[in-house]
Amino acid sequence: MSQTEVVIDDKRFVAKEGSLLIDLLIKHNLKVPYFCYHEALGADGNCRMCMVEIEGQKRPQIACDTLIKEGMVVRTKGENIESVRRNILELELINHPVDCPICDQAGECKLQDFYMDYGLYDSHIDQADKVHHQKHIDLGSNVMLDQERCVLCARCTRFTADITKTHELGIIGRGDHARVSTMPGKKLDNPYAMNVVDLCPVGALTSKDFRFSQRVWFLTSTPSVCHGCAKGCNIFIDHNREKYKDETIYRFRPRENQAVNGYFICDEGRLSYKALQENRQVERDRNGAVCSEAEALKAYCKTLEGAKGEIIVLADPNLYREELVAIEAYAAHIGASLYAPLEHYRDEDFADDWLKSSQRAANAKAVEILEIKTTLPVEKAGLLISFNHPDAAQIKAEKVISFQTHIGKDAYDLTLPLAVFSESAGTLVNEEGIEQYCPRAIKRNEPIPTVIEWLTQIEGGDK
Amino acid sequence: MSFVFSKENLERIEALKSRYPSPKALLLPCLWMAQYQEGYISLDAIEVIGEVIDMPPMELYRVATFYTMFNLEPVGKYHIQLCKTLSCALRGKAQILAQLSNRLGIKPGESSQDGKYTLSQVECLGSCGTAPVMQINDRYYENLTPEKIDTILESLEEES
Repeated sequence: MSQTEVVIDDKRFVAKEGSLLIDLLIKHNLKVPYFCYHEALGADGNCRMCMVEIEGQKRPQIACDTLIKEGMVVRTKGENIESVRRNILELELINHPVDCPICDQAGECKLQDFYMDYGLYDSHIDQADKVHHQKHIDLGSNVMLDQERCVLCARCTRFTADITKTHELGIIGRGDHARVSTMPGKKLDNPYAMNVVDLCPVGALTSKDFRFSQRVWFLTSTPSVCHGCAKGCNIFIDHNREKYKDETIYRFRPRENQAVNGYFICDEGRLSYKALQENRQVERDRNGAVCSEAEALKAYCKTLEGAKGEIIVLADPNLYREELVAIEAYAAHIGASLYAPLEHYRDEDFADDWLKSSQRAANAKAVEILEIKTTLPVEKAGLLISFNHPDAAQIKAEKVISFQTHIGKDAYDLTLPLAVFSESAGTLVNEEGIEQYCPRAIKRNEPIPTVIEWLTQIEGGDK
Repeated sequence: MSFVFSKENLERIEALKSRYPSPKALLLPCLWMAQYQEGYISLDAIEVIGEVIDMPPMELYRVATFYTMFNLEPVGKYHIQLCKTLSCALRGKAQILAQLSNRLGIKPGESSQDGKYTLSQVECLGSCGTAPVMQINDRYYENLTPEKIDTILESLEEES
């Protein structure tokens, strides 16, 4: 397709001839309202919100179904087009319950945004005349449906029909009675189901896991990468520190990255945030007794000095590359052999041909690039230092020092707490070799040291 | 699954398949066949049709719920559909409805206890010139009066 020039609001833009007008508007941040269009789902043309004026056309046209032609002159602003949008919005809102104060979508709701941009009318419809549908239907897979809030954009039904091809959702009935539903007696049931919550532009589909937990305007979003498997799906970590409480993660949301995950993540990855704040190892533990950081460091050095025989260092292949490099350097410094066994992280049952990989270790590729041994050491060690490796207990060792993020069932000579990925920063290399940096998202009131912070302290005390 | 297409219907489906480039074109004919065969379209029938025309059941269910002439619940042997739209309403639909309700002892949307009659009100039957009109199964009854209702119901009683 050849490049061509179009004029939008008196400005010139270059675009591919035959591409969608709405894509150009979105790309250049030209304000255009829409419910049903989504880059991943394509144009459906049912919501009629994205009306623009095109010179030479009698009536306003929808931008999502208009192909770019040479010499096109488009207007997205003006009295005329805004009144058209206002009228369409009023139609969309006719039977809407306007229960924003108790709706979880409030703050990230397209209806609210467009009402403030184009609406601001007095309703012609009395609250008592509204058509009612079912509220809080549990669709399954952690998705709750409120049929009254729905604008029938069909994004969710198109997601289950075109993307997951599981066909659970559909719009049934017609006119005022049209509503989203599953087949009677059937549930929404696929490993990507919760993406419909993000797709829903209004509060019709909400996450059972997230609802009523936070107002979205209190949340801070930090870009990160999911650690659920080696796919490296891009996410936002939405977190908030409430007064007198510790900083808490409330949800993971997918972040668009066409090179990795497109627009979506799997449900298992989405819910994996819970594990980051449950059952955490917080205390330093020496032979079953809690000790201070200074005591712990002392015990560490003593154990290291007194080690007889070979020292083995185990590194979790979920750690950031920078952390793995630091562990590698440390292992060389103390003359230990380093392993990052991957066996534990093979999970063929988890894998599919889309966003789920059978390699569950997020940084397995970095381990490979750094040429760290990935087998489980078989020899008996004088001292084992494990950086959060789940197989630490399987290795025969006289003394064991375990840095661990979570409380495990095994007791070691010295157990030290370790920050999880959201409390640290570093680079992940996904299975396709794409390097992605994750900044630190969470700062705990009482910080737990990261691998690098521990190693800095240990080496400082070592001298 | 308890629904099975009759032998004749299966033959008709095969014959129709050759007419269209895709078996999906048989969506509506298949729904009709299921409704005539069973009196209504059960979820089982939707599953079976989905297999026959290679379409996900949800797509069929959407179509079946869109059209009001498809019954998704069982109806009586005689499905009485009384027109409630303007011409019939002006020409005395209310009295006809009262008469039907009285004689059958059921309200619109209900079925009689013996499962013989189902009474429903529908939008325009397209026969405004002969209002008020009702449709019993596939037959129209026009220019209705309360007396005519008596005769019609009596003839249905004799018939069965």
